[in-house]
Parts: sequence; C-alpha cells; structure tokens
Amino acid sequence: MILNLERFQVQARPRWTSLESLLGALESRPDRRLNPAEAQQLQELYAQTATDLNRVTHGALAPELRQYLERLVARAYAELYYAPPTRSEIWQPRRWLRIFRAFPETFRRQSRYFALAVLVTVLGCALGGLAVRYDPASVDVLLPADYLRNPGQRVHEEEQGQGEHRNSAQTEAAFSAQLIRHNIQVALLAAALGVTFGIGTALLLFENGIMLGAVAVRYTQQGFGLFMTAWLLPHGVFEIPSILIAGQAGFYLARLLLHRREDRNVRQSMRDWLVLVAGLAMMLVWAGIMEAFFSQHHAPVLPYEFKVAVAVAELALLTIYLLLTGRRETGAKAR
Amino acid sequence: MVSEKRMTQPTGASTSVELTIATPEGVLFRLPLAGPASRLYAMLVDIVIVLGTVNGIGLLGYVIFAKVPGFGFMVITLAEFAIGFAYGALLEGFWNGQTIGKRLFHLRVIDQAGLPLRIEQAWVRNLMRVFDALPFAYLMGGISVLSSPLMQRFGDRVAGTLVVRQTPLAVPAEESWMRQKYNSFQEYPTIAVHLRREATPELAGLIQDALRRRNELAPYARREIYRELAKYLQSEISPFPDELVERLSDEQYLINSSGILFGDQRPS
Repeated sequence: MILNLERFQVQARPRWTSLESLLGALESRPDRRLNPAEAQQLQELYAQTATDLNRVTHGALAPELRQYLERLVARAYAELYYAPPTRSEIWQPRRWLRIFRAFPETFRRQSRYFALAVLVTVLGCALGGLAVRYDPASVDVLLPADYLRNPGQRVHEEEQGQGEHRNSAQTEAAFSAQLIRHNIQVALLAAALGVTFGIGTALLLFENGIMLGAVAVRYTQQGFGLFMTAWLLPHGVFEIPSILIAGQAGFYLARLLLHRREDRNVRQSMRDWLVLVAGLAMMLVWAGIMEAFFSQHHAPVLPYEFKVAVAVAELALLTIYLLLTGRRETGAKAR
Repeated sequence: MVSEKRMTQPTGASTSVELTIATPEGVLFRLPLAGPASRLYAMLVDIVIVLGTVNGIGLLGYVIFAKVPGFGFMVITLAEFAIGFAYGALLEGFWNGQTIGKRLFHLRVIDQAGLPLRIEQAWVRNLMRVFDALPFAYLMGGISVLSSPLMQRFGDRVAGTLVVRQTPLAVPAEESWMRQKYNSFQEYPTIAVHLRREATPELAGLIQDALRRRNELAPYARREIYRELAKYLQSEISPFPDELVERLSDEQYLINSSGILFGDQRPS
C-alpha cells in the first residue's frame, strides 16, 4: 500500500490507452504482422504496462485496476510471443495439395504404430476365425447381423436382387454418402480413442478383427469364398487399411500423451496426427464410392474374377502410393 | 514458462478458477478460465447455428438437385458432415479463438501458454469432439472439464488449449475519494497509518466495493452496510476521535477511509 494510485493512474493512463488501441489494430489484422515501428512500440508499451501491473499487484489495493492491467498485459504478451502463420499462404491451393505427399510421408514416419494396429487386428482376426472354425455356434455371438450368419441366404438375395440395384445410381449415391460418413466417424473415433492411452483404439481394432475373421471363415466354410472376396475387397482394400491407419493415429496419440514432456516439437507431432486423419478420410471417400457403385454388383453383371482383379489393382496402387510417394525427396534431404 | 492454477475470490461474488502465467520477463498475470456452464451455452448457440446452416444448405441442395435426388442427398450429407467439424475448427483458427457462440458469451480458446491458438490446435480440439461427445451429451467432455485443473475437455488436453473468459474491461473509473479535496482523517496521521497497516486487502476491497455500488444498493441496505462497515472500522481497526466521527456520516467515514487506504499520502 505504498503506491499513490491517483497520481499513478493519471500518469500511466495515456500509455494504457495507446497500448489498447495498438492491440485493437493488430488483433483485427488478419495476418497479424507487425512492421518494425509497431514492433518496437508494442515492446515498449508492453514492458511499461507489465511494470505497472507489477506495481499494482504488490503495491496497491486495486483489484479492478489489476484485472484491467492483467488483461492488457495478457493481450500484449500474446501478440509479442506468437509467431503467426502467414495467413495469406493458407488460402493457396498449392499448400492444400501438399497433403497428398505429407500423408504417405507421415504414414512411413510413424509406421511402427501402423504395425501395432496390424498386429492387434490380426490377433482379432485369428480369434474370430478360429472361434467360427472350431465352434460354429459362436457365430451367433460374434456376428451381430443375420445376413452375416447365413451366407447362403445372403448370397442368394444379393444375386437375385440385381434388378433392384440396376438403374439406380441415385440410390447408390445416397448409399455411398452414408457409408462415407459412417466410416469416417468410426475411423475418427479410433484415432481419438488414443486419449484412453490406446486401450480404446486397441479394443476397437480387435473387435473389428474378430468380425473380419469370423465372416471370412464362415463364408469360406460354406463355399462362398470367391463371392465374398469379390463382394468385400473392391472397397475393403481401402476401407481396411484406412481403419488400420486410424488405429495407427490412435496409438501415435497415446504415445504422445504418455511422453508429452519429452516431446519438444508438439506442433509437428500434432500435425502428424492431423495428416493421418485427413489421409484416411480421403481413402474412405474412395472406399465409400466403390462400395456403393461397384461392390454391390455381382455376377453375371460383373464377373467375380474381374472384381477381384480390380481390387488387386487398387491395392497395388495404394501400396505404391503409401510406400513410395515423396521417398526420393526425403532420401535426398537426408543425404 | 511457469503456470499454475488456483482458486481465488476476485472482486465479484463468483468463485473462479484462474491460470497464472509467468512471462519470460518475470511478469505474472492471471487468466480467468471459463466454467462448464458458459461453455455449454456457447455450444448450444453454435449447434443452433450449425443446424441452421446445414438445413439451409439442405433446402438449397433439394432445389438444385431436384432432378437427381440421390446425388443431392450425397452432396448434402457430406457437406453437413464436413460443416459439423469445420465450423468450430475454421472459426476458432481464423477468428482469434472464437466461434459465434463463444463470442456471444465472451469466451476464447487460447494456447495453454497464454498465446493465440494455432490452426492445427483448432482442428485437433474440434476433431476430438467425437470422443468428448461420448456416450451422449458430451458426458466425457464434462467429466474431463470438472476433473481438470485447467477445465479442459479431452480435446483441449490433446491440443494443449484452454478456454478463457474474456469480458471486456474498461479503465477503472475515478473513485469517490479522488473527488474530495480535503480528507479530515489526514489530520490524525498516527491513526491513519494504523488504518493502512491493519486493513487487510479483503477489507479494503469490501469498502471500495460498497462505495462503488452506491447507486445499485437500495437506500435501506446501503445505510445498513455503510453503518456496519464504519462501526467495524471505528471499533476494531482505527478509532478516530469521537468528536470528529460524530460530525461524519457513515458514508463520509468510508470515503475518508478509502482515501487513506488508496490515496495520496502527502500531508495535505
């Protein structure tokens, strides 16, 4: 209580007002760039106001004035210490196209989490497959929907139902949108479940694997292996890897949260998570389109061998894309 | 950069949680954190806006794609889905951490270090909503906010962001004790010094508040409060001579006291 508030306020008020108007101007500017004169002025006013705040905090009983100065110092601090992205760049389409290269690069950089996702899914597959193989009754527990339990009936319906699907590109478009939305939601959840330290991600992948294994064994047992391959693979070759990448993002997030202190470059690491999510969303858009427009057509309209060949070609392209894109540049940089 | 959280009782009646930030220059400042209630209201406003936009797009799409309803449905469904996430991410990323709802309720998303949030952070915290919204009605997010020292939902924890309250503040106005030219208490410097030394910050704040809210208080309540405060000061803290006190109203007594507490110490 040593400070003379009255005199102090009269003296300091002009600099607070000018800091306030400078901040107002900066905050309304979209790119938030300072010119040298402004930077110097901001630095000076910030230092003075911060000193004023210290004096009020320690030397006077003026809660409102203190709050006001704290707010002012906080705003100035934010402007001084924030390195803004140049916002004009963000609107350049070229920048957005970089995602197509960043995605495979990130995928390779974080490949060990992908391997973990594959491992969990394969374990689930093995469990589901073995359960159905040695205890056929378990399908009632493992597979929720009727059509998955009775492949014969389903295949019959699918092959008979050709007429309904024909000439209905409209229905297929609507169907594909629903598929895309649903799949992205599930994949995003798998990636977000990383906050449960990866446990949720692992459970989701494992459950997915069980279903996959059980369906595959069930259909193969009853002699519909080729039908199933042709039915599921044209979209599955994108859908299944994208769920695995979602698992990769989830495990990566879990690892980030567990080792936050060590990880200095939080910004880069968060960007990796985002890039993986964006990439898998793009994959799922393709998978949804294939599932609605291609997978649902069966022989004799589309021969099963042709559908499987398309699936194999898709898988080959995806593999090349994920493994090779941007590799030369990164290699050159490393050297 | 040191940050700590603590509970404080600021001038207002409400208890609030604050984040204290220490800058590299050694300046400390506090940021008031937003509570779950105001965030919920802001979110409801945002949900209404998103639903409105989405339905508008839906209607528009219905007209444009009247001949091809299936493709119309496809476009609308995907647009709605994208808007659901992009609304928060883009607005927060490009509009200084505020959505329309947050702006209405004076909330702002910032980086944990007190800096403006980055676009990546805005995307991460908005994509993480799929987890925070589980199992229904943002239960996960709510639990996280209530259990977090920084009132962060899971999305905030992952993105390293927090939501602060940012009610606009003006330079504090002139106080009543600044207007009076002569303070009779200054004729008794020993008692005045005693008052300055004995009064706790809370008591001083209380006196200041009571005077500042003069016109908000009902006359009867004002008389009572001023009488209580003056009586307390006179009997417990700073017994000024009776012949002086008898000539002063309770209000004048308090004005003089705050003049001593906050004002100029030069002998008049």
